[in-house]
This record gives sequence, structure tokens and C-alpha cells, in this order.
Amino acid sequence: MENYFDYTKKIFDPAKTKEKPEVFKGLRVLDFTHVIYGPTAAKILGQYGAEVIKFELPWVGDLWRFGVYWGSFWRHSSVCFHFVQYGKYFFALNLKLPKAKEIILKMAEKADVVIENFAAGTTDTWGIGYSQLSKANPGIIYLSCATYGQYGPMRFFPGWDLLAQAASGAIALTGYPDTDKYYKLPDYVGDFLPGNIGAMAVIMALNYRNKTGKGQYIDLAQAEALMRILPNFTYESITNEDLGRAGNTDPTMAPSGIFKSCDGKFVAVAAATDEQYKGICEAIGRPELVNKYKDTFERLKAENAKELYDIASKWVGSSNIDNLVELAKKHHFAIAQVEDDYEITHDEWRQERGSVIVFTDEMYGKLMLPGPSAMLSKTPGRIKWLARPLGYHNRYILRTILGYSDEEIKQLEKERVIGNWDDRPGIKPPVYYDIAEDPMFNYK
Amino acid sequence: MSKKEKEQILVRYGGSRKEREIFLKGMMNPDGKDEVIDDAVVLDMSYGNLSGDICSSIYAEFGAEVIKIEPPGGDPSRKITPYGVNRKGVGVPFIMEARNKRYMTLDLREEAGREELKKLAKKAHVIIETYEPGKMDAWGIGYRQLSEINPGLVYIAISPYGQYGKKAQEYIDIPDSDITAQAASGVAANIGDMPGEGEPWNWPLRAGVWLGWYISGVEAALGGAIARYYTKATGEGQIVDVATADSYASLVGYPVTIGFTWDKARPRIGKHDFAIYPYGFWKSKDGIVAIAAGRDHDFRALLKVLNLWKHEDDYRFTFDRIPDILTQIEEFYKIIEEQTTKYTSGELVKKALDYSIKSARSKWRGGGVPIIMEVQKPATTRQNPHWNKRRSFQEFDDEMLGKFTMPVNFIKMSESPPRVKWVKCGIGQDNAYIREKYLK
Repeated sequence: MENYFDYTKKIFDPAKTKEKPEVFKGLRVLDFTHVIYGPTAAKILGQYGAEVIKFELPWVGDLWRFGVYWGSFWRHSSVCFHFVQYGKYFFALNLKLPKAKEIILKMAEKADVVIENFAAGTTDTWGIGYSQLSKANPGIIYLSCATYGQYGPMRFFPGWDLLAQAASGAIALTGYPDTDKYYKLPDYVGDFLPGNIGAMAVIMALNYRNKTGKGQYIDLAQAEALMRILPNFTYESITNEDLGRAGNTDPTMAPSGIFKSCDGKFVAVAAATDEQYKGICEAIGRPELVNKYKDTFERLKAENAKELYDIASKWVGSSNIDNLVELAKKHHFAIAQVEDDYEITHDEWRQERGSVIVFTDEMYGKLMLPGPSAMLSKTPGRIKWLARPLGYHNRYILRTILGYSDEEIKQLEKERVIGNWDDRPGIKPPVYYDIAEDPMFNYK
Repeated sequence: MSKKEKEQILVRYGGSRKEREIFLKGMMNPDGKDEVIDDAVVLDMSYGNLSGDICSSIYAEFGAEVIKIEPPGGDPSRKITPYGVNRKGVGVPFIMEARNKRYMTLDLREEAGREELKKLAKKAHVIIETYEPGKMDAWGIGYRQLSEINPGLVYIAISPYGQYGKKAQEYIDIPDSDITAQAASGVAANIGDMPGEGEPWNWPLRAGVWLGWYISGVEAALGGAIARYYTKATGEGQIVDVATADSYASLVGYPVTIGFTWDKARPRIGKHDFAIYPYGFWKSKDGIVAIAAGRDHDFRALLKVLNLWKHEDDYRFTFDRIPDILTQIEEFYKIIEEQTTKYTSGELVKKALDYSIKSARSKWRGGGVPIIMEVQKPATTRQNPHWNKRRSFQEFDDEMLGKFTMPVNFIKMSESPPRVKWVKCGIGQDNAYIREKYLK
């Protein structure tokens, strides 16, 4: 039989992604979201083939168009915005005007999914909530993303990733014990993870619609989604004690921790199971420890885990990373070097895998982006284009979906129902780009 | 659709605020509603790796029949638990992920066990495994073999470096853990204090949540759901591959995009944020508060609430507050801290809320919301009436596991919500049931 890795390499080949089918082809998503949390849910559906139409206010745009790290734009755009918004259609429509509402209701009739992340109940007061759109299209699946959800006394509290982390209690778990230093989970993961869960909820609702023909309303609270992944509530209900913080060791495994090797590299080492514990003891050269802590639960007790942590720390400190990895291969325990942004970007294996993609965009040129977290062999996720300037697809959307004539579109422009950018970076095209010659922007 | 049906919908989801409240209240309770994937059978063979259990939990919550297959002695994951805390030999994370599952023992090292698995796989829709890449294949029960007897099978494999590529092959002997997944995927490198703080404060730091495993589990479930959607449409199954050493980096996107555009790594900057300010934690009289007021109008509101208006001129626009000059931002951090420590967390939250209400009512629209939230401890979160009303927690009482509480109902859906029906996880407790139902 063919070697397993030759076989998997063949079926996952990232070069063939473009030729493979898209799961959600033909599905239309109306995306009334901004910043990260809601847009992520819509992006996932787009990544697998759905047609995602992102609504923004003309001349204003999504706040995250200006969300740049340390104030530096990349080709007059935000790279994070590219990552969160790739593959969508950008439609700038002034929601305040009655004509805009008409357009949205018409589009809702032809859409499958609506996603929004305004404050609870806002879209209802605007007349584009579930109660209104489901009248136009009873099969519609409507996902509302809010930090505290749509129901309950705190529903009107405003929220960001940070607030969701604070409210869920995730923050109280990270850091060193007995200090007043707190750290947030990095990279707005409190937005990205719930966003992905939102996409999953929509897929489940699509399954349900395929089965029964019924649409439904989904209320996803960001903080609640984060609470789902926290162990401390269950821990506390069993022990009546606070789980607290454990610094650089994982209290569920002993030994475990992030240590510094003698060549100055940070290395995470862990023994998740008894087999791995045995392996690590052998690698350290202390086989007597295997019998000392034969019982896993005994080993994990705070004072014993501390002893093992100190032993492991000393051992890692006296060895270099290559040597440690070789030992791990031989003795089967978990090890990984701490990788920073630069290393992750330039890791060969990630590029080979398609987890890091060098994407060449027609408008913006070359940008490295991550691929999907889960690789599907037959219907992989893909990037089609990066984010576009504000209102870039106005003409295309009105022409193809609603069949508006040239005159009607011009009239809408004149009445400022639709529009595009002003001179700020983030919403305008890059200076070198000749937008007047762009066939999509000037869609006939 | 008939006129009557249309009217029904009007009544059911009618526009008024009160009706919306009633509709939403009904959504908080999942009991009695349809389960969306109750026609799916999932085999979970994860071993010593809870990301597989997390993945199958999500399917179980949506109604699938999940059969967790363990070796006769039980999955070592049962013993992965904080400080060794356990109930009858079952650790906290394993209890948390024992939602609506069936537990079966099979010795896959024996031919007989593998034969039984094959029979089960014929009737299954999804398989989840976390063995080293190629091991199931070598046993004759990998994707290649099982997809021949069951072409619609969705096969989810979770491993540190994935199922293909050079590194996956080279590192085949290295098992997975959450902390190593965090290290390799860029979590740890971006938590920690600024370089000047001294060791070990400036070291990379582990997130106190299982970001490596939970994200891998959720992404595996998402990938599997997409694959299953395709199977339903075409009958074709496929393999879904998740690399725990990468799933976080690919989820958040920052490490790669920043690594490319800056051509260097970000430094660790402690409690600060790279894009917006103020966005972090401050001490209050009695605890810690999180403050997010990065937008200009929110920032102005914050200054008013904290009596700091005199600084408005220096930090007026978002781009005056870019945290790239760290000394400047430290200085401003202290100015804010002077004020926040004067009040208790509760007072600060209330001040912010009062201001929000005032600004919402004012004629001057866009008055801003100073966003302040108390950093919650688990006990306070659990007692919060908001989550009680939303039924976010559920108490369980099991003969074997005793009494405990779990976060549940994490997605509220009007028609087919996920839910937890039971939590039970005796080793091999459902052997007879499964043999009767699937192997006869």
C-alpha cells in the first residue's frame, strides 16, 4: 500500500485547492457586522463558498478598517481587516434612509443567512430585525452576535473582546498566582473564537432548514461562548475552591511548563499521560521518579507538581532545544518551542501545509495570510480576494442581485443612499491603484 | 406559503418589543425543541487528547449519538485534571466534556477490537481520532480503509502538526498537550510583561484557559460540520485535518499578518493593546476593572466619567493614543489608575452606565459609552442573575460523579438549540447498548 504520508500529501495538496468544490456555493449571507466578532462568522461561510455581502455606512465604514497595529496602515488598509473580511462583497448603504431599507428587505427575500452584531435589539428598531426579515423570508437564519446576548438584565451593556474576557472570568485564570498582574488573552481571541462558534451555529441551522424548511433565530452571547471553554466553574463546584492562576505551568499535567533552554529558547514541555510521564523521567535521567508518583492524581497535587516543575525547569535549562526535541522523539512526551509571529510566518511546514498562504491580490499585491484552522480534503476553505475599499461592490450587487438599471443606481448615488469612500486610509483604495479602470467597481 | 402560515409567523415573531422579549425568553430553555443532528452517529476515539472530546461534545450537544471508544482501562484523558481533583477517578475536564455521550470499550490493539470498530464505522457518519498520524491507517482502520466501506464518512483527525507534510512525519513520535499547542501556535509568545520588567515576568506566558485544545476542538467540530454538510448534498465523505500547533494562529490571523507586514515579531507589552487605547485593566479600590474606550467618543466619555477632561487635548484622537510609544502609554496608564483606584469596581461600572444612559438620551448623538466591566471571579459569574436568566449554568447530580455545575446552553437557537441532557462517563457503561443497537 502507498505510504500514508504520500497519500495524505496527495489528497490535501494546497496547490489543488482552487479546483475543488465549494460547500456553500449558492448560499447568500447578508452581513451587518463590524469589527471582528460578527464578521468572523460571516467570513467562515464565505471561505467555504457562500456569497457574503457586507453592509457598511457610506463615507463611514467599519470601525475596524482603522484598527491597525501601532498606527501603521499597509497599502492604505488594515491587515487585520483584510484577514477578517476577505472574500466578501462590500456594499455601502445608508441605513437611515427609507430607500435603503427597501433594498435590504428585497435582498432579504433572496438571502439565506443574516448576521449582525449591534447592541441587543438595535436591528429590530431599524426595521431589519428577525421579526421583520422573517416576514419577508420565513426560511431565513438570523444570527445575532452580542457580548451578553439578546436577553437578560445585562443585554444592553456594551462589549468588546476584552469585556467578554472580563465578564466570563477568562482573565482571572491567566497570570502568576499571588500577584496583581493581569493579562488578557491575546489577539482578540475572545472575538474570533465566538465568531467561529457563530458560524457553526449557522451551519447547524442550515441543516435544520434543509430538513424541515424552517428558518430560525440564533442568539449568541460572546461571554457565554467563552464561559463554555472555562474549567473553573466545574472545578469550583466540585472543590468549593477557586481554581486561581497557575503561571507558566498547566495544573492538569505534571511536569508541565514553559522553560528556558541553555541556548536561550523558550520551550514548552508537558507529560499529559502516564506514558509520557515515564518518558520524560527517562529523558531527564531520573527513572526513580516514575515509581515515586505512580498515581496520576497524586502527581498532580500542587506540591508534587511543583517538585516536578522544578526538576524539569533545571533539566531544560541545562540542555539545548535540538537535544530536547530528539529526546522527546525518543521518549514520547510533548514538547514545542515557543514561536513568535516571525517564526510562525516563516515556518516551512505551515506553508507546506497551507496554514500560511502567500496570497497575491489584484488590488493590494502580496500578503501572507493564515489558511483555515481545519483542512478539508475535498472541500477546502479558500481566499478569493482581500478586503475591498468601502462601497467597492455597490454597482455589482445592485446590478446582479436586484437588477437595478444604470439610471436607478445613479439616482441612488445622487440621493446618497449608496456611496463609497472619502480621503481616509482604510476606506479608500491604495493610491497607486487606478480605480477608474476597475471593471468590478464600474460594473456594467 | 399560504396566507394563514404567513399570519402565524407574524403572530409568532411579531414586531413589538414585548413580543420580542417573550420570544427570546422562550429561547433560553432548549428543552423540548428539536435536535438538529439526531440522525448522526459519531465515533470518538480520542486518546490522551481532550480536543477530540471537545469536538465530539459539541456534536453531542446538537443531538448526535456520540460513542466514545476507549481502551479497556479507559482513556488517559480521564486523569488530566487540575491539581489531581477528581470524582471516582474522573478529572474535571473529562467530566465537563462527558455531555450526552455513550461510553464503550474496545481494544484497538487487538484484531477483534478493530473488526468491531469497522462494523461500527459502517454505520457511523463521523469519526474523531487523535492518534499519531498514520497509526489508525497502519491498524487498517484509517480513513483510507474506512472510506472504502463507508464512502460518506467524515473522518476528523487531530494531531500536533497535522496529517501531511514533512514536519508531521518528522514529529510523529511527539504527542500533543495543550501547553505545547499554545507555545507552537503563538499564544504564549504574545502574553507576558514588557521586556523591562525582568525575569520571569517578561517570559512568554501560558493562557490560563486551554486555548490550544479548545480552539482545536471547536475548529475540528466546525470543519466536520462543513464536511458533513457536503456529504448530505453529495454523499461524499472526506478527511478533516486539524493541527493543534497551528489552529490558534490560523484562527486569529495576527501572528501571520503581523509577522509578514512588520517582518519581525511583536514584543510582549503586558496589559496594553497594540491597536486601541485605553483597552486593558486598571485597579479599582476593591479589585480589577477592564476598560475599553478606544473609539474617540467613548474615550471622551471616559475622561468625563473619571474627571480627566484636562487631558483631552493631549490624547484627543485615536492616533494620538496609539500605544507605540510605550513610556507615554505607561504614563497615561498611571493617570487613569489614579482615578480608578478612588472608586470600587461597582461604582465605576455604575458611573459608566449612568453616563451611557444620559448620552443615549442626549440630543447630541454619538455621545459615547465609557465601557467598564468588573473582572469577574468564577463565583461572581456563576451567581450573576444575567446568566441565571439565560440558563448558562446547569447543576447535575450523578450517582457516580456526584453534584457539580457546568456551563451549558452556549448557543441559544429558536428551533434546534444545543443542550446537555446527561453527564455520565463510566468506562464501558454502554457496551451492551451499543452492541445491541449497532452490532447485531
